[in-house]
Amino acid sequence: MGLAEEVRGLSQAVLTLDKATIRFGGLFAVRDVSFSIQSGDLFGLIGPNGAGKTTCFNLITGVYKPTAGVVKFGDTVLNGQAPNRICEMGIARTFQNIRLFSSMSALENVVVAGSLRQKSSFISALSYLPSAIKETGEIRARALELLKVMDLEDIADVRSCDLPYGKQRRLEIARAMATDPTLLLLDEPAAGMNPQESEQLMRTVRRIRDEFGKTVLLIEHDMKFVMNLCERIVVLDHGVEIASGGPAEIRNNPKVIEAYLGEAV
Amino acid sequence: MAVDHLFAAGVNFGSLPAQVVNGILIGSLYALIALGYTMVYGVLRLINFAHGEVYMLGAYTALFVSWLIYGNQVAPVHTFWWALPTMLLASMTVSALVGVILERFAYRPLRNEPRIASLITAIGLSLLLQFGGQLFLPVAPPPNINAKVNPYSDSMTFYLKPPAKPLADKASSLEAEATATEKAYNEALSGVPSGEEPGPTVTALRNNYFEARNAYEEAKGAAANSGVSVTIPKGQLIMFVVTMFLMAILRHLVMFTKQGRAMRAVSHDFDSASLMGINVNSTVTFTFILGSALAGAGAMMSATFISGVKIDTFYGLLPGVKAFVAAVLGGIGNIPGAVLGGLLMGVAESLVIWVGWGDYKDAVAFLILIGVLMFRPGGLLGSAKVEKV
Amino acid sequence: MSFWIRRLASIALAVGGCFLIDWFAKENLKDFIVRLVVLAALYITLAVSLNLINGITGQFSIGHAAFYQVGAYAAGLATVTFYKSQPLGLALWIPLMMLVGGVTASVAGLVVGLPSLRLRGDYLAIVTLGFGEIIRIVTQNLKVVGAASGMAVEPKMSTPMIWLAWLLAITSIAVCRNLLQTAHGLGFLAVREDEIASSAMGVNVTRTKVAAFVLGSAFAGMAGGFLAHYEGFLIPTMFTMDVSFIILTMVVLGGSGSVTGSVIAAILLSTLPEFLRDIQQISMAGLVAAAISIIAGVVAVRYVSQHVHTPSTRRIAYPGAIIGSIILTVVLSKVLAFIPTLANASTDGSRIRLVIFAVTLVVLMLVRPQGLLGHREFGWGSLRRSEA
Ligand SMILES: Nc1ncnc2c1ncn2[C@@H]1O[C@H](COP(=O)(O)OP(=O)(O)OP(=O)(O)O)[C@@H](O)[C@H]1O
Ligand SMILES: [Mg+2]
Repeated sequence: MGLAEEVRGLSQAVLTLDKATIRFGGLFAVRDVSFSIQSGDLFGLIGPNGAGKTTCFNLITGVYKPTAGVVKFGDTVLNGQAPNRICEMGIARTFQNIRLFSSMSALENVVVAGSLRQKSSFISALSYLPSAIKETGEIRARALELLKVMDLEDIADVRSCDLPYGKQRRLEIARAMATDPTLLLLDEPAAGMNPQESEQLMRTVRRIRDEFGKTVLLIEHDMKFVMNLCERIVVLDHGVEIASGGPAEIRNNPKVIEAYLGEAV
Repeated sequence: MAVDHLFAAGVNFGSLPAQVVNGILIGSLYALIALGYTMVYGVLRLINFAHGEVYMLGAYTALFVSWLIYGNQVAPVHTFWWALPTMLLASMTVSALVGVILERFAYRPLRNEPRIASLITAIGLSLLLQFGGQLFLPVAPPPNINAKVNPYSDSMTFYLKPPAKPLADKASSLEAEATATEKAYNEALSGVPSGEEPGPTVTALRNNYFEARNAYEEAKGAAANSGVSVTIPKGQLIMFVVTMFLMAILRHLVMFTKQGRAMRAVSHDFDSASLMGINVNSTVTFTFILGSALAGAGAMMSATFISGVKIDTFYGLLPGVKAFVAAVLGGIGNIPGAVLGGLLMGVAESLVIWVGWGDYKDAVAFLILIGVLMFRPGGLLGSAKVEKV
Repeated sequence: MSFWIRRLASIALAVGGCFLIDWFAKENLKDFIVRLVVLAALYITLAVSLNLINGITGQFSIGHAAFYQVGAYAAGLATVTFYKSQPLGLALWIPLMMLVGGVTASVAGLVVGLPSLRLRGDYLAIVTLGFGEIIRIVTQNLKVVGAASGMAVEPKMSTPMIWLAWLLAITSIAVCRNLLQTAHGLGFLAVREDEIASSAMGVNVTRTKVAAFVLGSAFAGMAGGFLAHYEGFLIPTMFTMDVSFIILTMVVLGGSGSVTGSVIAAILLSTLPEFLRDIQQISMAGLVAAAISIIAGVVAVRYVSQHVHTPSTRRIAYPGAIIGSIILTVVLSKVLAFIPTLANASTDGSRIRLVIFAVTLVVLMLVRPQGLLGHREFGWGSLRRSEA
């Protein structure tokens, strides 16, 4: 075990799932899933289609409420918290089926997220007081910065629904980053990207962790992407956790191979 | 509190069953209209605001057909057996046609636009038919069917609890007396040559008769109040029976025919159904035909069988809104739900009248609606869908 | 510092403009037109405030007249009850009553806003409609406000305070514009676009929707408070569903979300149809001709937009259809006049007023669902572009 990993192991868990469970009618979409993510991790969540990965994200971000079990962010229990509260605490996400604010420009999309922690009051916005104007300017400047990081500054004024798919995915990441999260959840960020784009995205995600100090949890079907990027991986199948560990362990785990082969990949 | 109010308003608990039955009769009409809303919502996820106007046009069709058949004369009873079904079929046909036209030329072009566009169109069409109808349809003075075609306006009384025996006996003995005095008075009156003032004996006989009759009326009222009875206008009973019959046909069509199966499939999942080779357009047309024809039937019957009803271009506004509420109450998209919701709506309204808040009758629908949506958004028989993320 | 100078200057300009309108209208215009000038201002306020709820925040509310009514009745009742026993003059009292109307209506807005937290578009529509009806039915039966026969609001304004109506309209426009210029306002737009994504980005969807309802209904209530003292009389039939639909048509015509669009549409739709009221006789031949021409115009525009791809043809589609329809109407009405039943029948103008709104809604959805301006605005938008 290298020093870096040892330090990480000592640091506090950012996110903990403890026997998290949710059922829809008779279907356990996620059942007794437990794992924890340390600060600074690049953590992967994989599994065949319908395994319950996106549902895990929904449990963490408060879209769904767990039927049983606990989701903890640091020491705070997230069960039953509203999504916007959870975002405020420092968890931001992207969506598998892109959910941008489609008729708004790329910049506006990011500004919405960036206004999360603004201090100027609603009244000052309605009366267009200097405090609101100034803060809006600052948020916009930060949003432009983020667009630059995601290589999107040239399309800031384009309506987000008019963007090509890959750029929409990157814009979603920029938008999530704008809320200044501690933990960033990415749901299949490389889906629909060509190898070059995906390569570049890998570098960007690493940069988000290293430079911006975010902890990242990502879902991805592209094994090369996950294995190259993530330091720890949890594998779900039919809602249950079947394996966890480093990329090498996962690659050679017979259960994982079976889960994927059973699906005839 | 509420109970206090009941007594203060002089609520008569004996009239409760009558009101409930009344509610069910009216409720069956709401149910009939609600089916149209629910089926269209089921396949298109569209609140067809113009459904009430489809209903209104059904009533006008019945009116025109009655004019065609009878002109200005009062309709003779022995013609009803063929005239009423003709009016019914005409209303159903015209309403179905209107429904199909609206769908084909206003809703279908917008099917791929955001849903709000169809909703706004539906509102616009509803207004267009209401106010545009004012220009072309007879509205002033409000025409009606049942002044000329007046089938079965008498009513039947059923006793759930017969009147108290002594009171009933007293009434019947008084009835005999009233008949006797009436006869005596009439005989005396016919003895008076025309053009002459009746003499004092005749006047005395008349006073006798009036006294006896008043006593009889009073005793009859007391006897009636001591029992629990339900009075049903025969016309409304016919309406109820026909409604149930139409619903049975609908159930058969939806459950056991190819088009019905297609309709249920589209209703379950529009996109998959079209991918599975179901002709979505013809299914939607079929849905509009069914729903609109039912509304037409309801309109013909309400305009003909409920006494005192007048027709204007807003004829469908309130029934439409209430039927919509009924559909939501039962769980929109759910066919048995619409029937249940309709009946409940009717009963709820009757109860409000019974309690003495008749002025607020029309607000009840909306209160129910808001209540349902707040506490059980999926309705009684439906289930609220969670959006998949 | 320069900010405050500019701000004071623009406020002074706005107030000055209002008095200018007031002066101009009273000096030069007939009473009938003065009335339209006042109504235009009220409808601008109503349309802009509904646009905030409906267009900007995406909560499909179609019962806006209810808030107008609540404001009017609250102000009317307060005046009837308290005016005599207080020292303020009418010029101060009326703005105060507008505030009363606004506050009361915003409470109503809060009540309606709460179900909106749980309801999707079409359900919310019917709830707002139902709320409007409940308000109307209650006022129709409530003795303190005169029930169905209405109530007199004494004293009414001696001459129309045109400036006050326009000041209200401009304030409502300014508030919406300010909102859209700041990061706060984008949150409202985000809620319209996607509630789940907004809440995942930290937007408090609940608070945003309720704020939209409260703010929107407050402005409608203030317009109502003005109306009460302008008309001097309130009756439930002034606030039927028709009024709600007229306001909705304005918002839809202007382009949901566009403040400038709402303003333009409100001015057009509150004034033009009013002139019809005076026309005693409109021949049926003309009406039928217009109906046929409109249908032809719609078919033509839809055909072009779907099957023709030459840009030059597409560009002239709208003007072409409009001019073509007008020409067709004129020609057809002459032709149809040969049919005796159509030539002899006529109707008076007031009866086709609401038909026009209905036709506007339907035709607009079929040929241009985004409205006149779509989401665009005239003359502002520094935030909405990346370079200031
Ligand atoms: N709201 C819901 N209601 C009912 N079932 C649901 C709901 N959301 C998810 N499910 C079910 O839960 C299971 C897990 O779905 P989930 O979207 O989490 O899978 P996933 O691992 O993200 O798959 P994929 O790789 O295809 O995205 C699926 O069977 C899905 O149908
Ligand atoms: Mg998924």
